[in-house]
Amino acid sequence: MRSLVRTNEFTLAVIAALGFAALAVATDFNLLTAGTLDAFLRFLALPIVIGLAQMVVLAVGQMNLSVGVLTGFCAVASGWLMIDAGLPAPIAVLAALALGATVGLVNGLLVIFTRINGFIVTLATMTILEGLRYGVNGTGTYQGYSPGLREFGQASLAGVPVVFLLAVAIAVAVALFFRRTVPGRHLLASGGNPFAARLSGISNDRALVLAHTLSGLLAGFAAVIVVAAFGSVNASIGDDLLLPSFAAPIIGGVALAGGMISVTGTVLAAFLVRLVDVSQSQFDINRRWVDLIIGAVVLGAVLLGQFRDKLSGGQR
Amino acid sequence: MKTETAPEAPAASPAEPRPPARVLPVWANPRLGLLIVIAALVVLFSSLTPAFLDPRLTLAPLQADISVYVVVGLAQLAVLSLGHMNMAVGRMAALSTFAMGLVYDRLGVPLLVGLLVGLAVGAGIGALAGLLIAKTGVNSFVVTLALDFGLLGLVTILYTWATGGVSFAVQPSGLSALRFDTFADYCTGEVCGPRIPLVVPIAVAAALGVGLLFRHARLGREILMTGSNTVAAELSGIPTHRRIVAAHAVSGLLAALAGFLLAANNGAFSANIGESFLLPSFLAPVLGGTLLAGGAVSVLGTALGATLTQVIYKGLNLLQFSLEELKLYIGLVLLAALSLDRLRAVIAERRAVSTS
Repeated sequence: MRSLVRTNEFTLAVIAALGFAALAVATDFNLLTAGTLDAFLRFLALPIVIGLAQMVVLAVGQMNLSVGVLTGFCAVASGWLMIDAGLPAPIAVLAALALGATVGLVNGLLVIFTRINGFIVTLATMTILEGLRYGVNGTGTYQGYSPGLREFGQASLAGVPVVFLLAVAIAVAVALFFRRTVPGRHLLASGGNPFAARLSGISNDRALVLAHTLSGLLAGFAAVIVVAAFGSVNASIGDDLLLPSFAAPIIGGVALAGGMISVTGTVLAAFLVRLVDVSQSQFDINRRWVDLIIGAVVLGAVLLGQFRDKLSGGQR
Repeated sequence: MKTETAPEAPAASPAEPRPPARVLPVWANPRLGLLIVIAALVVLFSSLTPAFLDPRLTLAPLQADISVYVVVGLAQLAVLSLGHMNMAVGRMAALSTFAMGLVYDRLGVPLLVGLLVGLAVGAGIGALAGLLIAKTGVNSFVVTLALDFGLLGLVTILYTWATGGVSFAVQPSGLSALRFDTFADYCTGEVCGPRIPLVVPIAVAAALGVGLLFRHARLGREILMTGSNTVAAELSGIPTHRRIVAAHAVSGLLAALAGFLLAANNGAFSANIGESFLLPSFLAPVLGGTLLAGGAVSVLGTALGATLTQVIYKGLNLLQFSLEELKLYIGLVLLAALSLDRLRAVIAERRAVSTS
């Protein structure tokens, strides 16, 4: 029990619960009305998935700067498939996922073949994808595509938005992957200590490629959520996703050095960021204060983690 | 392009013994490759569109742009020397230019005084980042990313408070000269200067200063050693914490200078200064052969890297490419340059091994 209380996830969960309760009281329980709660959870789906997309590369000690723009590119591409190419929605969805995974695979291959730092490789692919994202439809907007897909984006199951359930399902799948499967354990081993992993017969290169491919695939899922829940897509999607993609795992206690992940932490952190977002709209605060607060929260979370490590280190 | 000498990267920290330094052949020097690519692109663009060689409409603005982005690249270089990153480089510039705009607007100080105030603010915020990193041991990426978030909010709030909008209306005297004049406008008798914008010498001075810092100054050498091997540096009696703070302060100072140069080029102190700094700040040093690992820098390479990207921007812009399309090509050039660089290094190393 004590060890549970000491975890970062527990702290985050308490803060999230307190924050949620405080916001509910402060808004005269407006937050708990069906419509507000529905919107709260519906737009929580994207930050969760985008945070996880960043987390899987952090697991091997890499970064993926292209994650936000890739989401936008996949979303615009699936819009193109449905509107301009006239393909049915299921094919467009699968294509978005495949496209994401392919770009992720290319990122991974570039990293292992050129031996250039992943930060730089994804910086370059991010720039390229920005051009491609714009190239699909210029400044135009795709809307009025598949009613079925948009209904899926607006649908609720027992009062909970389906896209949010999808995001939770993805989070569970990612958690199981890292906890229960051999490739998942290999990924963490390689991220924690590449040298030891190699001596144990784990291919670090394969781990890098797998992590980047998974990251791309998750960006593809994020694109599907955008296409379904937003109801329209254009070339600006993904621009504001890069910083949140880092904020969620970092607040959630994921180490940048690799080898250590926390799916629960990432999800809870996304929840916290969403909470700040909602309070801004509820109280009509200047949008810019939110950035200031999130910056402070990220730094605070990291310092807290450092402080905790020092304390537990002292006790041992 | 630039006149200063290239501070050669120290091959390794003196603290660790190394096999005799391999001398790579001339063709393996990334700076030479950059120079050739720049020359080829200039020839290509000027043959495609004669407007590329127009001194007033193209070349003078191009030099002014290059000046800004050389300094932006140097701001990132200052922390890359440690193996750190400064994700807040653009927002540090924004905060510093806000401070400049504020003192020009409210106190009416001369151009130089305002610049110094801005540089001090930049150095201060950089030192703050360095202090947080050194004291807590938290990854520089995280600290500066969080700082970037925070400053993004702060800068907009400050501009709204001070101006009720997004820019200062004030025009300190001398700013328009920096913006529009070239040395060709200043004549002594019959002899006029070359058509070089007045901001260029400022960037050259900054590059020279950073080059001298890392090549000859004790502070710079100690920063490089800290970047190369922190433990060894600490054991050799270098106050590594203070060197980390110093490197980040230099980064903030250069970011502030870049912000000032951009404000001079735009003719306004506005909130959007620095928004476009992050990507070029990495492009220039990395193209120039500076690694993210720390311990080695190339100032000349950074200047050439910034020149290359700006030549590509300007050239494709003249050929009517849109900004978004430009990004596609910049990304491809970056990937190609890095892959070639890697290939060249591998081949050079193999040759060195087989001949020895």
